[in-house]
Amino acid sequence: MSVGFIGAGQLAFALARGFTAAGVLAAHKITASSPDTELPTVSGLRKMGVNFTVSNKDTVKSSDVLFLAVKPPIIPFILEEVGPDIEPRHIVVSCAAGVTISSIEKKLSTFCPTPKVIRCMTNTPVIVREGATVYATGTHADVEDGKLLEQLMASVGFCTEVEEDLIDAVTGLSGSGPAYAFTALDALADGGVKMGLPRRLAVRLGAQALLGAAKMLLESEQHPGQLKDNVCSPGGATIHALHFLESGGFRSLLINAVEASCIRTRELQHLADQEKISPAAIKKTLLDKVKLESPSLSVASASKVSLFTNKSHSS
Amino acid sequence: GKVPPSSILASAPSDRNLAVWRESGCRTTHCNLEVLQESTLVFLATKPHVLPGVLQEIRPAVGPHHIVVSMAAGVTLQTLQRLLPAGTKVLRLMPNLPCVVQAGAMVFSRGSGAGDEEAALLKSLLSSCGLCEEVPESYINIHTGLSGSGVAYVYLFAEALAEGAVKMGMPGGLASRIAAQTLMGAAKMMLETGEHPAKLRGDVCTPGGTTIHALHQLEKGALRATVMNAVEAATNRARDMAKD
Repeated sequence: MSVGFIGAGQLAFALARGFTAAGVLAAHKITASSPDTELPTVSGLRKMGVNFTVSNKDTVKSSDVLFLAVKPPIIPFILEEVGPDIEPRHIVVSCAAGVTISSIEKKLSTFCPTPKVIRCMTNTPVIVREGATVYATGTHADVEDGKLLEQLMASVGFCTEVEEDLIDAVTGLSGSGPAYAFTALDALADGGVKMGLPRRLAVRLGAQALLGAAKMLLESEQHPGQLKDNVCSPGGATIHALHFLESGGFRSLLINAVEASCIRTRELQHLADQEKISPAAIKKTLLDKVKLESPSLSVASASKVSLFTNKSHSS
Repeated sequence: GKVPPSSILASAPSDRNLAVWRESGCRTTHCNLEVLQESTLVFLATKPHVLPGVLQEIRPAVGPHHIVVSMAAGVTLQTLQRLLPAGTKVLRLMPNLPCVVQAGAMVFSRGSGAGDEEAALLKSLLSSCGLCEEVPESYINIHTGLSGSGVAYVYLFAEALAEGAVKMGMPGGLASRIAAQTLMGAAKMMLETGEHPAKLRGDVCTPGGTTIHALHQLEKGALRATVMNAVEAATNRARDMAKD
């Protein structure tokens, strides 16, 4: 089986690194493409032994499982570009937040009658094989296609199938989650430094504390509330500290964060479905390339381009 | 039904409160010493500032067979033992209001003269009024903050629940009864299942449902911290008062 990545940025790099480290895929069976060869991740991919090309079409041709690892606004251009090369054997996996299966199927159906589409939401810790991934299968993707993806993603962390309407919530929780954790760790380290620890040690200990706590929770049958209680001796240090967290509305802040990320994802999807985005938001090299290879898609430089339709409109 | 009313003798300087006792079939008197003469187990149920005077008064009549149980808030075992004959079996009890409906929460500690037998007797007797546990004396002030005063926190919460319902269109009387039943039912589940409240809470929260939306509001208001503050304030106050 060979895997391709359209896009050679953080996500492609993280997944490629994870798959190869897990041994499920040899590097030479992976192809990644991007018009931008200056990306720092490009040299990383090359060093891994991944085949790098500037041609998205080449990636499609040499892959069975095709990951769309570009930013959400770029997706329609990619689909337009590689659509003609999609064959029945291909499993198209979109990792783009807020991009629905139906929008992808609609776009591809002009080229291929029954495209196999799977929508996936993963997160950056796939890079250390502790990712959290969910996926939802499209209309023409079989159970085996889903299981194939699940096998791949399970090699780099936790992976499970969900209904598509839950994916935005997953984005809010585990998609953005590592960022919340990094913020917390930075602050915990500050606390350690304030109380006299050297920075490096503080970071190391903070990270290990969170890692250990997470591992305990995953391996325990107990409720996190119970595990918390187990750490809080009466009148001790921990319960004093927790009181501070509660006073600051710690729990509520986390709930707010997950909610905000989920709502924003839905907003972006809504914007994508409804409105137009300016071509200035898209890298020039990609735009030129798209113009070259898809003459049917004309883009007026001063006007806005509508996503998910084949025509361009001026606003 | 643990003790027949005729075996209970209560004393008070005036008749003001004694009628109620007589109505239940208990005997009454105006003489504190008589209580010591007629009873083995003696509860000291006066207000704290009155107690030292009462102890002085009954001290001559206290013997090695007596079990003295003080319920005076803030009066330590050390003080009680100082004001009574050496070696007297003294225990200190902190109940809470719902004892009157046999749903109380009580803690007690024993003084140096009281042994396992006395502790067991007290616990067995008081279990008829609710939950009764022996604790180190240092927990008694905490019990005040948690459960002595805690009953008031619950009334406040119940009132607020009902008010919310009234705002949404329910008549007050009905809302109040339902609020009380909700609190009792939830508490009963905690006591009977022994499950962690966090888990019980999770069990009620359907994804995206009404409960989780409401809980978010409570978390935004930092309810947990506020409640912790309340228990802390009451406990600290109990400790301060004990020093006076």
